[in-house]
Amino acid sequence: MSRGAEAQPAAGVGVARVAHFATVEQQRHAAVLGIWAWLVTELLLFAALFLVALILRVQHPEAVRAAALHLKFWVGAVNTVVLICSSLTMSMAIAFSRMGWQRAMVRAMLATAALGSLFLVLKGYEYYADYEEHMMPFLTVRPYALAETPATRLFVNLYYVATSLHGLHLFTGISILLGMTWMAAKPGFLSRHQNWIEVYGLYWHFIDLIWILAFPILYVVNR
Amino acid sequence: MIGERGPRDDVVTPLRSLGPEDRALLRRHLRAPILTFLALLGLLAVNVTLGATLPFAHVWVVELLVVTVMVAIILLVSMEVRREPPLVRLFAGLGFFWVAILMGMTLTDYLAR
Repeated sequence: MSRGAEAQPAAGVGVARVAHFATVEQQRHAAVLGIWAWLVTELLLFAALFLVALILRVQHPEAVRAAALHLKFWVGAVNTVVLICSSLTMSMAIAFSRMGWQRAMVRAMLATAALGSLFLVLKGYEYYADYEEHMMPFLTVRPYALAETPATRLFVNLYYVATSLHGLHLFTGISILLGMTWMAAKPGFLSRHQNWIEVYGLYWHFIDLIWILAFPILYVVNR
Repeated sequence: MIGERGPRDDVVTPLRSLGPEDRALLRRHLRAPILTFLALLGLLAVNVTLGATLPFAHVWVVELLVVTVMVAIILLVSMEVRREPPLVRLFAGLGFFWVAILMGMTLTDYLAR
């Protein structure tokens, strides 16, 4: 992989070649290409949701604005900071893996999982506050606060679909990260599977990227 | 690729205990992630300020431009697309190209009605 000088792996850090690849370099390229192929499909999935949000904004500006004013703007902003911090710790884990600093890498991975969990806790609080404010139009047993403006239901339901789908990706990401951390703490991991950290890092940064898009499209531009 | 020397299990920090070589190594590897982190926080601060104060009409244009810069930074620096082989860059570029077509054609329709 044509990385910069600072990205060259240290001694004792590498990838154990599996039989169906001719070289380690080919194996690394295939892994990165594979995760990108998947990330592109994820990008198209979320892009369709964001597109619907923008169309709703064009078609029902007043209703979308009324609904967006009920969103917890500051919780969303804090959550964006949390995910940006988690991207830093993930980048640190990748850097430590390249340097061969295994224990520091494991700690950075745990910090990343902790920040991801904090995001989910804050998101849970946000949903709870929405429930208290009767802002869950899909609950038939609970009156909806903006029932007099039917178009707001479209935006609020879309908000739940987009944010819960993102939350599901984050939850899956945290689970995989914790499993990988358990494996990465074992002796010899970095000499055989260093590229796992890099490939996983792409997924984590992508989750961050999706939220970086979701926050302004759902919370900011509709105010 | 498998070297003889094992990974540095002994590096537990604190930073004070690191020698000059390790410090230089750490600085070299963490410079880009920390600068990226600061840039993203700064751009987020701009967007949050604009969203909270709504200083002028059509402020959403500026907000979306700021987001575009944030996404570009994550892609090029954090996800290291600029350092990937051409085929990976093509995949990443094609993904956003299709999104641009999806957004462009659909919004052209809705905005022109």
